[in-house]
Amino acid sequence: MALKTKVYVGMSGGVDSSLTAALLVEQGYDVTGVYMKNWTADLPGVRCPWADDLADAKRVAVKLGIDFKVFDFENEYRQKVVDYMIDEYKAGHTPNPDIMCNQEVKFKLFLDAALEDGADMIATGHYARTCHIKPVGCNNKADVNCHSITNVESATISSTNTCVGELLQAVDKNKDQTYFLYRVTGKALGKTLFPIGEFTKPTVRKMAAERGLWTATKKDSQGICFVGQIGIREFLGMYVNSKSGNVVDKISGKVLGHHDGAIFYTLGQRHGLELGGGLPYYVVGKDMAKNEVYVTTDLNDDTLWKKSIKLTNLHWINEMPINNCYQIRVRHRAQLINANLQLDKDIAYLELETPERAIAVGQSVVIYDGDVCVGGGIISI
Amino acid sequence: MNTELIYLDHAAATPLDRRVLMAMQPYFSDEFYNPSSPYAPAVAVRRVYESAKHLIASQIGAKPGEIIITAGATESINLAFNDIDGHIIVPSAEHHSVLNCAKKLDATTVSVDKYGMVSADFIKAAIRPNTQLISVALANNELGTIQPLRDIAQVIKAERETRLLNDNKTPIYFHSDASQGVGQIDINVARLGVDMLTMNAGKIYGPKQVGLLWVASHVRLSPQIVGGGQERGIRSGTENVAGVVGFSRALELVNDHRKYESERLAKLRDSLQMVLVNTFDKAVVSGHPKHRLAGHLHISFPGIDGERLVFILENRGIMVATGSACAANKGTRSHVLTAIGLSDELSDGSIRITLGHLSTPENIKRAGEIMIEEIKREYKRVNK
Repeated sequence: MALKTKVYVGMSGGVDSSLTAALLVEQGYDVTGVYMKNWTADLPGVRCPWADDLADAKRVAVKLGIDFKVFDFENEYRQKVVDYMIDEYKAGHTPNPDIMCNQEVKFKLFLDAALEDGADMIATGHYARTCHIKPVGCNNKADVNCHSITNVESATISSTNTCVGELLQAVDKNKDQTYFLYRVTGKALGKTLFPIGEFTKPTVRKMAAERGLWTATKKDSQGICFVGQIGIREFLGMYVNSKSGNVVDKISGKVLGHHDGAIFYTLGQRHGLELGGGLPYYVVGKDMAKNEVYVTTDLNDDTLWKKSIKLTNLHWINEMPINNCYQIRVRHRAQLINANLQLDKDIAYLELETPERAIAVGQSVVIYDGDVCVGGGIISI
Repeated sequence: MNTELIYLDHAAATPLDRRVLMAMQPYFSDEFYNPSSPYAPAVAVRRVYESAKHLIASQIGAKPGEIIITAGATESINLAFNDIDGHIIVPSAEHHSVLNCAKKLDATTVSVDKYGMVSADFIKAAIRPNTQLISVALANNELGTIQPLRDIAQVIKAERETRLLNDNKTPIYFHSDASQGVGQIDINVARLGVDMLTMNAGKIYGPKQVGLLWVASHVRLSPQIVGGGQERGIRSGTENVAGVVGFSRALELVNDHRKYESERLAKLRDSLQMVLVNTFDKAVVSGHPKHRLAGHLHISFPGIDGERLVFILENRGIMVATGSACAANKGTRSHVLTAIGLSDELSDGSIRITLGHLSTPENIKRAGEIMIEEIKREYKRVNK
């Protein structure tokens, strides 16, 4: 009899990863739940924020009768994700810590630690799908038809464990999280399962409730986990010395008012400018050195809408793209739009079919070929 | 409460006694008046409030004017610490509300023995000429160990004598948090020898968010909440009439049945302890063997994850507490268990069982059987 495939499931204490673990148990895998302890701001006098999530994850693991472990990534997370975010904000950019967390923590540290601990594969509760292909040269033939069915990985160890994975959009296009996953490697995806990518969020909740999982009705987490209860402004305020500065009308050059630190403002942002009545003002730029924020009431301002994008820090999940016609997404849950891709060594130039609003430096653009997420890069000037 | 559920966490919260609820009910809607208002129905409510405080005072051998009503034990403790600016002494196994108050001050933390018991000699050694406050719980909330308050009071009395001789005018106060133990131990402030005492209605089948600080007349206190000058100006805010009526009734009821209930709980607790210890020879019971609250059973199963056990028992309808989570989350181990020198393995495998009104011979027997079944299963899983 073949040995059961050993899967370590990242369990956050939410409904998605709870159902992930439950489904894998039902599919016959040997499942271990793992809570990744990441870094959180230690706020004096505040009840430890992650303890409840850990308890929820463990409660579900107990219900499923599976082993449960805690992996402590506090230091690494602090360095790779939190410091990155703070540094990017300091540089006047708009970072995405979730992408960094997937790249550096979940699909690197967690994967490595799980394999080291005896796992054959990992799984997470992301809304995405993978399909596993044997590498070219080994068999020269995908063992599955990647574009129709996924998750055909059997619950017993197959003869090969050297396959790579493709990243596919989730069935629930409204929840699809591939935007956050584009910097994961094909090799990591080859060892990853995303069981709930096949379902819509309401179905996931229903399935969790049917299985009596405690987390079935738990509220979705909002925003950046480690910022938690305080909000990004207060969070950055703890690490950055922000100075007040001028809010300047881009067209007239007139000082319209004051802001409490250019670092807090991002391109296209409307709220928080407190410039009094009249038409709403939008951020169209900032000068970190001068500590000035530029605004306009003109919704058609050319800095707010862009058709050409330059990407650096490129990452391709498997092979480099060889065609020119792709679809792209400039932020999580944004509509896919057609774009022409030109590669020049480590730089990608994208010409969009329709202009996109508020494309900020530091943000990621993710490139798709139909359902397949190919990779992407980071917007630069 | 669902009779199929077995509640074994009375040290965390107690169900409101129906008789307490009945006593409180009129003061939510029918007799809603502000006790400070001038007309007769309000004055009548004031009288009810005052007589409830009077009843509380008489139960603990105090004068009504020495009682400050608060919104629970945490506030009482904060109030007791509020006017202190000199040195203080607290044992390492105190509740977080005491330890966090102490953190803000020049504090000496004295260690406890393996039972969690504080030594009067250690307190004596830690006293300095500028020590202003010593705060020791009546009983430890995790282990149930009852502290030798009278011995400590003697030490403080001797220190007062010394200060008189040396013309040292620094006052020294003895505060005790009696959140745990009321209803099982005779609470008489004079006999305990304390200067301030914190009590909590929510732990004695009374309402939550109602507590008191008893303050001996010689203690200087300053308010942390100012306003309309209620509670002698020490704790402003419209009086919680229903809460205090409930508190007094709850205290009266637990005191009426104190001896009977303590003996009943001790017997049930001992029976549960015996079956668990007899079945699992590696199990370790913490807390003082003799000086321990009747309903408390702190027990460790090495190799088992206590938090996991809590969830396993929860699935079987049994509610217990753990002060500790799994070995991998450093820093979440109970400071009490660290203070008594319990090994990490024992700390991580520990649960706290606290019996009370909801405990019966039947449900304790059933709880014992389920625990044995589940712990055996868990050992099997761990050792596979």
